[in-house]
Amino acid sequence: MKNLLAFITKYYHWLMLLLLETASGVMLFQYNSYQGSVWFTTANAVVGKVYEWDAAVRSFFLLTRVNEELTLRNFYLERQVSQLRRFYGDMTRDTTVLERQELEFLSQYKLIPAKVVSNTINKRDNFITIDRGEADGVERDMGVACGNGVVGVVYLTSAHYAVVIPVLNVTSSRISCAIRGRGYFGYLQWYGGDPSVAYVEDIPRHARFKRGDWVETSGYSSIFPSGILVGKIEKIYNSTDGLSYRLKVRLSTDFACLRDVTVISDKTIGEQLRLLEQVKDSITMAPK
Amino acid sequence: MAIDTLRRALVFVVLCLVQALVFNHIHLFGCATILLYVYFVVMLPRNYPRWAGLLWSFALGLSVDMFTNTPGMAAAALTLTGFLQPYLLQLFLPREAPENLKSAASSLGFTKFLTMAFILVFIHCLVFFTIESFGFFNWQQWSLNIVGTTLLTVLLIMTLESFRK
Repeated sequence: MKNLLAFITKYYHWLMLLLLETASGVMLFQYNSYQGSVWFTTANAVVGKVYEWDAAVRSFFLLTRVNEELTLRNFYLERQVSQLRRFYGDMTRDTTVLERQELEFLSQYKLIPAKVVSNTINKRDNFITIDRGEADGVERDMGVACGNGVVGVVYLTSAHYAVVIPVLNVTSSRISCAIRGRGYFGYLQWYGGDPSVAYVEDIPRHARFKRGDWVETSGYSSIFPSGILVGKIEKIYNSTDGLSYRLKVRLSTDFACLRDVTVISDKTIGEQLRLLEQVKDSITMAPK
Repeated sequence: MAIDTLRRALVFVVLCLVQALVFNHIHLFGCATILLYVYFVVMLPRNYPRWAGLLWSFALGLSVDMFTNTPGMAAAALTLTGFLQPYLLQLFLPREAPENLKSAASSLGFTKFLTMAFILVFIHCLVFFTIESFGFFNWQQWSLNIVGTTLLTVLLIMTLESFRK
């Protein structure tokens, strides 16, 4: 016993090294599944606050560029809307129906504006922290978009902050998307490297489309409504197994200067989930 | 003693913030990031209590991790670095060194301090990038990361060292 104690007092730093390294290892390997670890990430209140100050200073210097981009985009969209309205009016001789439909569509979603307080683009698995949390109605698995296009999906939430998994996350980001006007759908995957290029996988071989077509969210996942911009098709490859196409897409969102984003909360999601549950139940209950 | 601890805590906070807000955003040539917080471990004096050194390095690693959403990565690497620091310092001690010798270029001599800092930073980078590349092993990127980061970090540490009294 005495020897043991003497041994421990002499070599206690070895034990401590072992203990601390084990603690690090546990955190390292459990992070992806361990929700409680929100304390050791940027969703932690202190770290969140520091990043918020930092972001406030940085965003001040970026405002001009962001404004310019938004104005351009706004102009483009407005022109598109007026054009479409004219076409629609010509076709149906009814000019009010479109406005009614638009309002109906938007009332299904609650939009929560948020600011990005921390953001990386140069790792394999990037994360974004935003300054809205549970207190503002942000929940796990809500979609996040910005003025130029899709951003990502909410992963962890604390009271006032949330961590978002952006498109630029190799391990965890798979956003369902479709080719605008053609309807064929696949999923969006990023393979690291250039933050403005991602790939759409699983587009069927019989699909007809061309370079320069736009890719948008498909609306199948119920995280994003359909029609949020993803990017423009730049190149078309065969997938490795030759069964589908892989599209190289130039992302419309500039992740390097992301400041203002919108969290999209779908009020009908509960309803959709309940329906899905019922279907599953009725299938398992059905007599064989 | 209390003053010393306070001063160390201040350096701790400053290094952590500088790393999180400035150096984490700088990536030169696609491979070199400055990991300045290793400087904290390099600076631990001779005969500093082992347990305190280990706890400091673990806490600093974890704080840096919190800012990058990688809990455990820098903590594991920096704890190991903090553990090896006393042994390395022992190797580079001048003859008849005082008991609580500062670990600095002024007391160890420029070449000795440079060698020690280089070895420590290299070990840290080696462990750090090995953990980072887990499961996605690209040895060229991995070795480039280690070499670039080590060189840049040592360069910055030596620059700061020349201003230190």
